[in-house]
Amino acid sequence: MNTPFRLPDDPRRAKADVEREIAFHLEQRAREFEAQGLTPEAARQAALASFGDRERVLAACADERAETLRRRSRLGWLAELRQDLGGALRGLGRAPGFALVAILTIALGIGANSAIFAVVRSVLLAPLPYPAADRLVQLWTDERASGRATPEWLTPPDFLDWQRENRTFQSMAAYQGWGPDLTGDGEPEALQGGTVTAGFFATLGIRPALGRDFSLADDDAAAPPVVIVTDGFWRRRLGADPAALGRPLTLIGEPWTLVGILPPNFRSPALTDAEIWRPYRRPATSGCRRDCIVLRAIGRLKPEATMVQAHQDLATIASRLATEFPETNRGRGVWLIPLHDQITGTSRAALVTLAGAVGLVLLIACVNLANLLLVRGASRGRELAVRAALGAGRGRLLRQLITESLLLAALGGALGLALAVVAGGALSSLVPPAVRAVQRIRIDGAVVAFTALVTVLSGLLFGALPAMRSVGVNLMEVLRMASRPGGRRSGRLRHGLVVAEIALSVMLLVGAGLLFRSFLAMQRVDLGFRTEGVVTASVTFPRARYQEPTRAVAAIEDLLGRLRAHPAVAAAEAVDQAPLSGGGDQDTGMTAPGEPKPELGGGVWYRTVSTGYLQVLGFRLVAGRMFEPADQSSSGIPIVINQETARRFWRDRSPVGRELVDDDGNRATVIGVVADGRPDGPREPVKPEMFVPIGRFPVRGVTLVLAPTAGREAALAAIRETLRAVDPLVPIAGTSTLEAAAREAVALPRTYAGFVLAFAAVALLLAAIGVYGVMAFSVTQRHREIGVRLALGAAPAAVRRMFLVEGARLAGWGALIGAGAAAALATGIRSLLFGVGPLDPVTFLAVPLLLGAVTLVAAWIPAARATRIDPLSAIRAE
Amino acid sequence: MAGSDLFTGSLDLLILKALSWGPRHGYAVGRWIRDTTEEEILVQEGALYPALHRLERRGLVAEEWGLTDTNREAKFYRLTAEGRRRLRDEAERWGRFARVMRLALDATAEAP
Repeated sequence: MNTPFRLPDDPRRAKADVEREIAFHLEQRAREFEAQGLTPEAARQAALASFGDRERVLAACADERAETLRRRSRLGWLAELRQDLGGALRGLGRAPGFALVAILTIALGIGANSAIFAVVRSVLLAPLPYPAADRLVQLWTDERASGRATPEWLTPPDFLDWQRENRTFQSMAAYQGWGPDLTGDGEPEALQGGTVTAGFFATLGIRPALGRDFSLADDDAAAPPVVIVTDGFWRRRLGADPAALGRPLTLIGEPWTLVGILPPNFRSPALTDAEIWRPYRRPATSGCRRDCIVLRAIGRLKPEATMVQAHQDLATIASRLATEFPETNRGRGVWLIPLHDQITGTSRAALVTLAGAVGLVLLIACVNLANLLLVRGASRGRELAVRAALGAGRGRLLRQLITESLLLAALGGALGLALAVVAGGALSSLVPPAVRAVQRIRIDGAVVAFTALVTVLSGLLFGALPAMRSVGVNLMEVLRMASRPGGRRSGRLRHGLVVAEIALSVMLLVGAGLLFRSFLAMQRVDLGFRTEGVVTASVTFPRARYQEPTRAVAAIEDLLGRLRAHPAVAAAEAVDQAPLSGGGDQDTGMTAPGEPKPELGGGVWYRTVSTGYLQVLGFRLVAGRMFEPADQSSSGIPIVINQETARRFWRDRSPVGRELVDDDGNRATVIGVVADGRPDGPREPVKPEMFVPIGRFPVRGVTLVLAPTAGREAALAAIRETLRAVDPLVPIAGTSTLEAAAREAVALPRTYAGFVLAFAAVALLLAAIGVYGVMAFSVTQRHREIGVRLALGAAPAAVRRMFLVEGARLAGWGALIGAGAAAALATGIRSLLFGVGPLDPVTFLAVPLLLGAVTLVAAWIPAARATRIDPLSAIRAE
Repeated sequence: MAGSDLFTGSLDLLILKALSWGPRHGYAVGRWIRDTTEEEILVQEGALYPALHRLERRGLVAEEWGLTDTNREAKFYRLTAEGRRRLRDEAERWGRFARVMRLALDATAEAP
C-alpha cells in the first residue's frame, strides 16, 4: 500500500463505499478461482457463492458504516480544529518574524482597547455604587433666566419646600461642605467633612455599619451635637475601636458625640474627601433666606416616577415660590441631572474620544495585518494549491487560513490583555479625581469577555479577506505559473488597504494634533498671577476660641508678621480662597451708583486678601494703586478690581475713585485696577473680580501664600513653627504649591493629549510598515520587469522615481480621505478643544505633510533596493 | 449473521489478529483467516464485512483508502491503539479458555 489519502466523509456515501469494497473483494476472489483453472464466468459464480448473501451483508455493513460516519462527523471538527491549530502553529513557527510583528501589532491594538474599555465600563457604563443607583438625581436650580449658564445650588427654604411638597421623590437630602478642626488626643488636625440633612445616607441607600444614621431629631438646632465618620477615619484616628461609638470627639473646641460609622466601601457622590459628617441643624432657623445659595441636594425618585414627571412636579413648586417670593425666586426654575451623569458626565466626551482613538488603532492594526497576510498568502499560493490537489476542499482551506488568523489574534489578544492589566494602574489618570473617588476602575470578567470578543472579531476582520483571496485564486493558474504569485487584482486590494490605513492614521493624527495644540494653548494662557515657587497652606482660627472675627484677623496678621521675619520666607501673604483651588464667593448685589445695573445677573467674585497679596503674586496694575498696609484700617472699604469688573460697571471710563454699593448699603471705593486673570484655571473664562483687605472684611480661615527663600520644605517648617507660637491648637490643612495646582488644572488635557498622541504615533508607525510592506512586495514582484528596464537603459533614478510616485499616490489618496473624515469627525471633540478650532489649519496642514514625509521614507527603502537589481541575474532567474 | 461461524465472537478476534502485522484490505483479511483456520471459521466470506464495520464503529480498527500493489484503489483497515489492546486481552482470555476446556474435556477421572 502506498500514498494513503482521505476522502471527505459523507454519511450519504456509506452504501456506495460498502458496494465498492464488496466489488473489490469479489473481483479478487474470482481472480483466485481463475488461477485455480476455472473459466472467468465460473470463477465469478464461485466467488459469489463463497461470499454468501450479498444483499444481507450489504445492508448490515451500510448500517454500521452510516453510524460510524455520523459519529465521525460529530468528532471530526474537533480533530480538524486540532489539525488546523497544529498546522497554524507550525506555519507561524516557520515565519517567526512575521508572527512576532503580527502578534505585537494585534496585542497593541487589543491591549489599548481592553484598557480603555475597562475605563469606559467602570466610569460610563457601571452603575454608581449605591442600591438602585439609577433612581438617584442631583437637584439644582435653573437660573438661566437671570443669565447663569450653569446649574445653581439651592437655598435652604427652597430645599425644604421641595422636600415637603414634592410627590415624585421617595426622599431628598441636602448637603454642604464642613471643615472642622479635630483637637484632643494627638496632633490637631483639620478634617474634611460634610453637613447633611437627615436622610442623606438613606437616600443613597447606605446604612452605617456600626451605630445609627442621623434622624430628623438630630436636625433640631437644640439637639445634642452628633457626628458620623467614615470607616477610614475610624481606623485612622480611633484605632477601629467599636467602643468609640457614643464617645465625644473634640471638634472646633466642642464635644461631638460619635453615633455612627459608615461601611468600609462607602463612597460619597460629592464631598469625596469628607471623613466626618454632621447633621444640618434646622436650616429654617439658620438665618439663611431665599437669597442664600448654600446647599446642594440629591433625591431618590419613587420607583414609578420618571425624570420628566419629577421635573414637572418640582417646577410646579418652583413657580408657586416664584409667585409668592418674586423678590428672590422670580425666574428660578428646576434643573435635574441623573446622579450618574452628574458625576461622570464631564469625562464622557474625553472617554468617547479615547475609545474612538483606540478603535482606530485596532482598525489600522487589522488593516496592516490583512496586508501582511495578503502578501504572505500570495507567496503561499503554491502550498495551498498542492493541498487542494491532495483533496482538501475549498472550505477546509478557508477554515485553516482563518484558524491561523484567529490563532494570531488569540496570541495577540492574550498579550494585549496582559498589557491592559499592567497598565491598569495608570488608567485612573484618565478620569477626573471626582469620578475616580466614586467609580473604581477594574479589569474584571467583563473586560476579559470584551477582549475575547474583540479578539475574535479582529481575527475575522484581518483574516477573512486574505483567506478568501488566497483560496479564491484559480488554483490551476497558480500551479502552472508557480513563480508569479498574486495578481493584479490582489495588488489593487493591497493598495486599497494601505490607503485605508493611511486615512485612518491621518484621522488619529489630526485628533492628536488638535488635542496637543489645545494643551499647548492652555499652557500658554496668562493666569494673571505668578505660580512659580509659591507655597500655599491653609489655616483656620476656630469660632469657638475666636468669637470676634477681628481676633482671628489679628491672629492671621500676627502669623504673617512672624513668617515675614523668618529666614526661610521671603514674603508671606494671605487670601481667603487661594487661586486654582476652585470655588470662591460671589456677590450678586453689587451696583455702581448712577450707573445702569449690568444686564446679565451674576455678581462680582471677591477675595479677601492681606495687603501685599497682589504684589507678591505679581498681579499687573493697570490703573490706580495696589493696597497699602494702612488700607487694613481705613475708614472706608478700599477695593482693587480687575478690568472685567471695570468694563461691566463703567465700560470705558476710568473706575478709580468710583464706588460700588452692596445690598446692605456698604460702600466700597475702587483704588486700583489689575489686569484680568483666570483664578479658576486656564480653561475657565475671565470673571469680574474684586479684592478686599482682610481687615475690612474679616475671615477666620485663610490660605497662606508664601514665597520661600530656600525651598518648599523649609517654608512649611517655618509655617509649623510660627503657627505653634501663635496658637498650638490650630492645624495646617492642605499644603500645596500654586505650580502644582496649575499643573493639576491641565493634568487631564495633558493626559488625553498624551494618550491620543501615543496612539497616533503607533498608527503612524503601522502605516509606515504598511507602505513599506506593499512597496517591498511590489519591488519583489516586478523584479524581472525592473531588470528588463535597467537592461534597456533606464536610469536607476527613473526606476526609483517609479516606486516613489507609487508611494506618493498611496499617501496622497490616504491623506485626502483621512483629512476629509477627520474634518467631519473633529467637531465631535470640540468640547475637548481649547484655543484651536476643530478645523485648525495648522493641524490639517502639518499632519498630511508629516504623513507624506514618513510615507516617502517608507517607500524610499524598497525603491532604492530596486535600483540595485542586477539586470542579468533578474532576467536569467525566470 | 455469523451464525455459521464455529465460535461466535471468534471472528472479531481473528480480524484483529489479521491486522496485527499492519494495514490490510478486507479481502486480504479474509484470505488470511481462510488460510490459517483451514476454512473452518469463515464459511461465508461475506460475514467478514459486517464484522469489520462493527469493529470500526467501536473504534477498534480504522479505515484508510489506499492503493494495492496492483495499483487498485481499496479500503484498508488498521488496528487502532484500542484495537491492539483488545487483541492482547482477548487472546489471553481465549488462551485461558482453551486451556481449561482442554483440561476439562481431556479429563480421565471422575471428580472426587
